[in-house]
Amino acid sequence: MKPLLLHGHERSITQIKYNREGDLLFSSAKDQQPNVWFSLNGERLGSFNGHTGAVWCIDVDWETSKFMSGAADNSWRLWDCQTGKQLEILETKSAVRTCGFSFSGNLVFYSNDQAMNQTCELSIYDLRDSNQIQFNKPFLRIPMPESKITSAIWGPYDEFIVTGHDDGTISQWNIADGAIINTEKAHTKPINDLQSSKDSSLLISASKDLTAKLYDLSSLDLLKTYKTDRPVNSASISPCKPHVVLGGGQEARDVTTTSTRVGKFDAKFYHLVFEEEFGRVKGHFGPINSVAFHPDGSGYSSGGEDGYVRVHQFDDSYEDITFEC
Amino acid sequence: MVHLTEEDPNFSDPEDYIDDITDNELLDDVLRRKPKEIDGIDSVIVVDNVPIVEDDRLEKLRNVLTKKFAKIGNIVNQHYPMENGKTKGYIFVEYENREQATSAINEFNNYRLDKQHIFLVNHLSDLDKYASVPDEWEPPEPQPFKDTGNLYDFLMDKDCLDQFSVIYEAGRQTAVYWNSHGKPKLLEERFNWTETEIRWSPSGSYLATFHPKGVALWGGTNFKQIQKFPHEGVQLIDFSPCERYLSTYCPIAENKSKDEPQDIIIWDILTGKRRRGFLCDNATVWPVFKWSYDGRYFARIRDDLLQVYETPSFGLVDKKSIRIKGIRDFNWSPTDNIISYWTPEEENTPARVVLMEIPSKQQLCTKNLFTVADCKMYWQKSGDYLCVKVDRYKGRKIEGKEVKYSAIYHNLNVFRIREKQVPIDTVEVKENIKAFAWEPVGTKFSFIHGEAPRINVSFYNVKKAGSVELMKMFEKKSANLIFWSPQGQFVVLAGLKQMNGILEFIDTSDMTIMSQVEHFMATDVEWDPTGRYVTSSVSYWSHKVDNAFWIWNFQGKLLQKSPLDRFCQFFWRPRPKCLLSDKALKDIKKNMKKYHSKFKLIDIQREEQVSSEQIEKRKKAMQEWTNFCKQTEAKLQKDYQRRRDLRKGFDTDERSDDVEFEEETVEFLVKVEEIVLDEDDE
Repeated sequence: MKPLLLHGHERSITQIKYNREGDLLFSSAKDQQPNVWFSLNGERLGSFNGHTGAVWCIDVDWETSKFMSGAADNSWRLWDCQTGKQLEILETKSAVRTCGFSFSGNLVFYSNDQAMNQTCELSIYDLRDSNQIQFNKPFLRIPMPESKITSAIWGPYDEFIVTGHDDGTISQWNIADGAIINTEKAHTKPINDLQSSKDSSLLISASKDLTAKLYDLSSLDLLKTYKTDRPVNSASISPCKPHVVLGGGQEARDVTTTSTRVGKFDAKFYHLVFEEEFGRVKGHFGPINSVAFHPDGSGYSSGGEDGYVRVHQFDDSYEDITFEC
Repeated sequence: MVHLTEEDPNFSDPEDYIDDITDNELLDDVLRRKPKEIDGIDSVIVVDNVPIVEDDRLEKLRNVLTKKFAKIGNIVNQHYPMENGKTKGYIFVEYENREQATSAINEFNNYRLDKQHIFLVNHLSDLDKYASVPDEWEPPEPQPFKDTGNLYDFLMDKDCLDQFSVIYEAGRQTAVYWNSHGKPKLLEERFNWTETEIRWSPSGSYLATFHPKGVALWGGTNFKQIQKFPHEGVQLIDFSPCERYLSTYCPIAENKSKDEPQDIIIWDILTGKRRRGFLCDNATVWPVFKWSYDGRYFARIRDDLLQVYETPSFGLVDKKSIRIKGIRDFNWSPTDNIISYWTPEEENTPARVVLMEIPSKQQLCTKNLFTVADCKMYWQKSGDYLCVKVDRYKGRKIEGKEVKYSAIYHNLNVFRIREKQVPIDTVEVKENIKAFAWEPVGTKFSFIHGEAPRINVSFYNVKKAGSVELMKMFEKKSANLIFWSPQGQFVVLAGLKQMNGILEFIDTSDMTIMSQVEHFMATDVEWDPTGRYVTSSVSYWSHKVDNAFWIWNFQGKLLQKSPLDRFCQFFWRPRPKCLLSDKALKDIKKNMKKYHSKFKLIDIQREEQVSSEQIEKRKKAMQEWTNFCKQTEAKLQKDYQRRRDLRKGFDTDERSDDVEFEEETVEFLVKVEEIVLDEDDE
């Protein structure tokens, strides 16, 4: 398996996402320009220019018509996918940490970081009502005074948002009234990433506490736990096989004290059901910050602290991996 | 300015007030310091066995004794009782305080003034104690037998598995595991079992834990508490090889004030009784007391004395220390009651290494050495050989108190203990020797020498014919320690800590490197007692990340990685010495093939069992999962329309079973060609 190496970023990758069809791969980094690539050959289609700070989060809607990004320059921006033009901008009071399109693409949320005089808030807008963006009047704003949001995604059907927090809890928020539906003390350390399965029935959380956990997205019932020996920065569920991939590694500030040879920066593959590790892919020379399965399950990509995005196409032998049971 | 308008408050008690607070309650701290009658008595000692002299020589005796006793402290008062113009043969000496009196007793009790007079010195206050000893001896009450269970229970395992202990979570958790074929199986886990660390006794019968109040021993089937040894502030312990005695060391000064020395206490493990306490100012080299192999003797060095004590009396052998001028270090043979010691050069006498038999004190062998800077003695574990590493110098400079040596080189002197007259072979090494180790059973030894980056490891063999032969020198190795298998033959060269944890497994029968591996930043390496497994570990105490222990087989194949949160310490549980005779062992080796097939079968069966267990587990997990999937599937089906509505009527589910491929025919023009047919052909 020889990956495509995408070097279009000058600093560490923060998030990567495929569009629904999987032909495009979006990436953001601590530099200021999110990029979009053809996933088949690694050619860069374009970049979204405008941010003036590290871009923390990105998302693309189901039609691949709109793209959004949130950054440390205290702004959230909406872009046109086709032209790369900035459509909207919202000034926020602190860095934008998470953002996302709802299932229909009509609703969007972002969360901002806890800063000196600013509590962490989850803000939700309806794009169909142009006033909401124009006058920065979200139809719902939920303050999070206890522990800041470190990652968040939409649940299915535009009904609720799942948030992962600095203290390791996962919560579901009803967007009709801003009430909390469910909350779960999932991890002992911050949650670095939340991703759902393709059909939005499963949720996988990646945490600094060296584990990734699989939940039922609607009930928040714990289903599986994947244990590793490193902080997990990101985890993704295969759309067609019972596999998950975990990316992580020693924290950036500790990296100088560890050796790359020991293989701490591998992407690890686990069996979704048996919780057993069955494969590793090495390559990054820093921790992996974001992983994503290709929507057809034929490959996966990873973005690392080293600034590279590696696009992997599975070998034929991947099909032959079987577990006796 | 202070306003004096307010009246001064009245502090006097009302007239009818009755004081119901005792002085004790009120002034306890002050009263405690109030001089007591006992203080005076405590600082008085009685010296018995003083020469009986007449009046005319009293002054002389007084002078002699005063000189001696004044060395300890200021003499406040002394009294020589007289009877019929002669002294009575005992005197009283009063010091300033009890501490001085106590140290005078330590110094002068059993002091030999001359041939006839050996002082017996006691506290005056002790006289009462001794006087009140009843004349009739009453046998002590028999204590009920405390059944500690079978201490060798851990050896009864059907598969003869070994145990090991780990401390983790930065010292809060302690656990004992079975090493079941490279995959640890938890046996016992306790929170806060020990304050600092744990130790196993030499044969593995006891697990010792440290507590602020002392040491506790655990053992038997479920690690029941077997014995407690109260020694406040204990820091170091040492078992006698026979597991009968335990010495504990506490450096805290406040213990010193008590009459009985408390620095080092030797305990009887079976009874839990304290056998003897010793003073000790410096325990930088632990153990201070070294035990002989059978626990019959223990010894230490004090100034120019070698003090050899015997058990069970806990007195000096022949009631006196052995005076050896300048003695620097000593070691017991691991299998015989032989002590090896060395003394440095002094003026005209050469440095000397001596083998001395205990208790006869007969010198079995002496070796004179010249230009010696330092010596290190290494006994081979079977007691067949002793290697003395002699650091010799070519130049010496004395700067004040420090002596500086230059151009150091080394001699390795190998003493063949079992041969007549103890012949000695010498190997000269020009380079700096960093580590030395004997093969525990066998005739080989190895050492690491040289300076980084040119560090070499040499293996020598002590041959029967009277020569020591270099077998192999491995050049440019990353190694700072040598770990021999307890069974000999196999050896691990380890480059620990600064050398990043490089491990090399070597078979010394043909000197092949079986494998070269790395456990990054490993801090410790330990062989299991059978010589089949090796563990390497990264301890939280010296390295803060990646704390784990890894288990290898003796060939350097990694069997198991066990990361544990803030893992600190790993110890294999030792096993008692093999009870089989040499012949029986030889027979086993001879018939290895027979056993091999038997064990191979067991191995295969076990592996099958493990995999069938695993498959069973997977089956169950898969079953549960399929049920879960069915439920979600049903939910998804139900909400199909809803999803479609949210996405402008498109079906984006794209599930493989409901994607229908329609065949579409697209016609397009490829090219137009005109061919003129030849009319002639028609």
